[in-house]
Amino acid sequence: MGRKREVKELDTTRRLFIAGAAGGLVSSVIVGRLVNLQLLNQEEFEARALVNQISLVPGVPRRGLIFDRFGEPLATHRTSWNVYAAREDLADLEETLARIAEVVDLSPERQERLVQNFRREQPFIPVSILTDLTYEQFTRLSVMRPQLPGVTIEASHARSYPRGRDFAHVVGYVARANQSEIDAALEGLDPEVDRQRISRIQGVLKHPNMRVGRLGVEKEMDDWLGGTPGNHRYVRNAQGRTIRRLDDDENAPKPGKDVHLTIDADLQREAIRLFGDQSGAAVLMDVNSGDILTLASNPTYDPNDFVNGISSVDYNALRENELSPLYHKAYDGVYPPGSTFKMIVGAAALRAGLTDASERVYCPGHYDFGGRRFHCWERRGHGSVNLKGAIQKSCDVYFYEIARRLGPERIAAEARTFGLGISYELGMTGGASGVVPNDEWKRRRFNEPWYDGETLNYGIGQGYLTVSPLQLAVMTARLARTDGVAVMPRMVGVGDAVPQNPQNGSMPDAAIMQQLREGMFAVTSETGGTALRAGDINFNGYRMAGKTGTAQVRVISAAERVTGVIDNADLPRRLRDHGLFVGFAPYDNPKYAVAVVVEHGGGSSSAYPIARDLMHEAFVRDSGRAASYQIAANATDTEAI
Amino acid sequence: MPTSFAQTNDDFVSRVFRLPWIMILIMMGLGIFGVAVLYSSTITNPIEAGLPAKHAVRLGIAFVFLFALAMTPLGFWSAVSYTGYLGALLLLVGVEFFGAMGGGAQRWLDIGPIRVQPSEFMKLALLLALARFYHQVRASGEVKFFHHVFALMMIGAPVMLVFRQPDLGTSLMLAATGFAVMFFAGIRYWIIIAGLVAVVLSAPLAYFYVLKDYQRERVLTAIDPSRDPLGAGYQIQQAEIAIGSGGAEGRGYMQGTQSQLDYIPEQHTDFIFTVIAEEFGFVGSVGLIGAWIALFALGLMVAGRSRSHFGYLASSGAVVTIAFYVFVNIAMVSGMLPVVGVPLPLISYGGTAMLTVMAAFAVICATNLDRDKHLSISGFF
Repeated sequence: MGRKREVKELDTTRRLFIAGAAGGLVSSVIVGRLVNLQLLNQEEFEARALVNQISLVPGVPRRGLIFDRFGEPLATHRTSWNVYAAREDLADLEETLARIAEVVDLSPERQERLVQNFRREQPFIPVSILTDLTYEQFTRLSVMRPQLPGVTIEASHARSYPRGRDFAHVVGYVARANQSEIDAALEGLDPEVDRQRISRIQGVLKHPNMRVGRLGVEKEMDDWLGGTPGNHRYVRNAQGRTIRRLDDDENAPKPGKDVHLTIDADLQREAIRLFGDQSGAAVLMDVNSGDILTLASNPTYDPNDFVNGISSVDYNALRENELSPLYHKAYDGVYPPGSTFKMIVGAAALRAGLTDASERVYCPGHYDFGGRRFHCWERRGHGSVNLKGAIQKSCDVYFYEIARRLGPERIAAEARTFGLGISYELGMTGGASGVVPNDEWKRRRFNEPWYDGETLNYGIGQGYLTVSPLQLAVMTARLARTDGVAVMPRMVGVGDAVPQNPQNGSMPDAAIMQQLREGMFAVTSETGGTALRAGDINFNGYRMAGKTGTAQVRVISAAERVTGVIDNADLPRRLRDHGLFVGFAPYDNPKYAVAVVVEHGGGSSSAYPIARDLMHEAFVRDSGRAASYQIAANATDTEAI
Repeated sequence: MPTSFAQTNDDFVSRVFRLPWIMILIMMGLGIFGVAVLYSSTITNPIEAGLPAKHAVRLGIAFVFLFALAMTPLGFWSAVSYTGYLGALLLLVGVEFFGAMGGGAQRWLDIGPIRVQPSEFMKLALLLALARFYHQVRASGEVKFFHHVFALMMIGAPVMLVFRQPDLGTSLMLAATGFAVMFFAGIRYWIIIAGLVAVVLSAPLAYFYVLKDYQRERVLTAIDPSRDPLGAGYQIQQAEIAIGSGGAEGRGYMQGTQSQLDYIPEQHTDFIFTVIAEEFGFVGSVGLIGAWIALFALGLMVAGRSRSHFGYLASSGAVVTIAFYVFVNIAMVSGMLPVVGVPLPLISYGGTAMLTVMAAFAVICATNLDRDKHLSISGFF
């Protein structure tokens, strides 16, 4: 058939084949594309898929805890529920805040301020919205969580100080990192090269849950306590909802390590209690190990108020209080030691051979020198006194005389031997070195030579000489040592081990030390002593030997330092003397040394009862209790020397 | 003219046995695979929880529909072709004037409770009408050049109407289907080559003067997805990440992070291939493409064995229509073509395209059933 032939004439098979070939060509191109995507570049796309879904969130490490010598927590954690968000994770900041305000109290002004907080930060930095939710707030917000995408409600470890007031000065406190602390952490980092590191440090330091040490042990041991910041890795879907958190040991933040103090928290509390409403400081130290068992300053304040930021009203009240509660008097405060310094002058004179135990000096109640009359505190005079009697009765004339013989250089050298004039690194911020003056010091300080009259004042612990209560305790501990070791104080151990305790100095001969101790014993225990009521510490028949002191010079308080030294004429009449007392017990086998300063206490009678009662308490608490820390492996124990 | 050489048994049972079962089984396999992939791609989104089941039900209905149409005599298809074409054309004009706004473009027409998408219907109608036209022309003598011009007009009318909706993807598919039938009908090779050259040369002109801004944007984004990573390029970038991270063997069923974490918009409809590529890898993707190629090859073989010119043209054109869906979809999601909204038949969630593809398969099946029959067509109906 013609028509049929015509149909056959059409090259249908060829055309179908061409169509098939075209399809094959298209398929090959597509398969080629798949080869390129899936086989040749799989790794790249896999990496990009990972970047897609994994979001890195700054991980705030858990801060290490701080314990006292028996494992009593001084700085710990409590769970605190906080709400925060990063701007970039929020679809609409204002609306999110408005939604939160529907269920918890969030005033429009506060919302406004939060918006400003958010705007100030880079979009990826989380900003705190609410802290320390109540249970009710937490449940209300949790119910609302699905309507708050991008908002994190998270339990954090809020710093808590169970022994708050007792340890405010020693332990210090933590606070949100301020800009200068962030700048310090970023110092030396090149913004071009270390961009990632910088943003990670910023991310962690600005994190609402992050706290840094601001004072005391918290600040000084911050690197140890703070741990290592890291990242948490969250799997997030395209809408930004967190699906799960990945376990990631490598990048996770490493928790900080604990710190153990040598301080006995209960003894510390007792010390503060003993001060009552007086201001001052007390230090109690183990003469053998150098352990500081008490480092108390009164009045004090509650560091818990500082953790989430203290109000400026409360802060100013603390700052302007004339008893200076913010001031760490035991460590940072310096006072003229007064008569407590006399043992040092005696030691210098005995060492120099300028006097001996038998030499007697006549005290008529005054001492004339260089056309000036120097008074003894006992205007009627002590009569003829030797060294022991001079210490016992605190005769000033005796020490004017031997100070004159010694001159300032030998007194200064002995003062340093006994641990004055240097600052002790105890593992917390601060630490006053005081002043141990000599000719060179005075030329440097006042551009004037040393006058001999100043040497006489030096001899009774007055003048330029200033010491901290801690230094007084160290001095007393060294006096108490029968083996001639210059014991060093220690207070902070890392982890559960306190550091080794280096010794230095060359103490006077044992015979000299014994004479000084006998003088101190007479002060508290022999008729005519200045602190006879301090001798009996009411424990096991132990006697405390010691020395009273009265600082007749007004001390410039911390508050006054801040506002500028006030002219004498404008001062209130509160210019009573500081009362001081140093002592050790038991006399025949010394274990503890104590130093107490009572500001404006009116004399040593304000100080020695505190010292006596504190010493009593130390022995009561001492019986059979082992410290929870160990001595670091390479430590050289003082008793081993 | 009576149908002669009816040597094969034409009773119901033998017709059922003569259905192209291999093709149907491949299609069913693809459909079941599609339900599984759909399940994986919607599992994480509670709002989409019912979709795989709904898709499975639709597939079931579509297969019943396929059987019913496949058993229909080929003559019926030719008989309704012109009417269908004119009807579809009228509906397109209707869309032009009364169309409901949908998806940013006028594509739907609401007739009472039924919402029809005439452009989809037109794909099949145009195919059948052209097949019948060439069949009749050939039956009455030689195909002349002006016949091709007339065919071109038959193609041009719906293409222009759909393009105005605007629906670039569908209008291009209509044109491609039409040109494919013209090609199979025997248009001279030099005309094809000239036409291709003309298309290539006019493409830049079309780009600047015919395409709308958002369409140009899509073209640019297809060339370089990173130029707008959060906007138009986001989808294609995420799709590439999904496909690429699948690697050789894939991340495992329901294990694809891109898919499971909803990083790809439209991953249960047009972009479902990315889920397959991510979770089943190169092996799975190529396997899927292989299954389609097998279907197309079998379809072209059915066309080649058709005794009637209508069956040959209708089947080969149907293969091209379906292949166009598949290739454009995969090329689109893998970043080789602009995103034009073409679903992957049988696998993407959605009913309209599924019906078109099923009907196109039904044409191939019917051709296979009546492959030995002459077909006498005359007049308009």
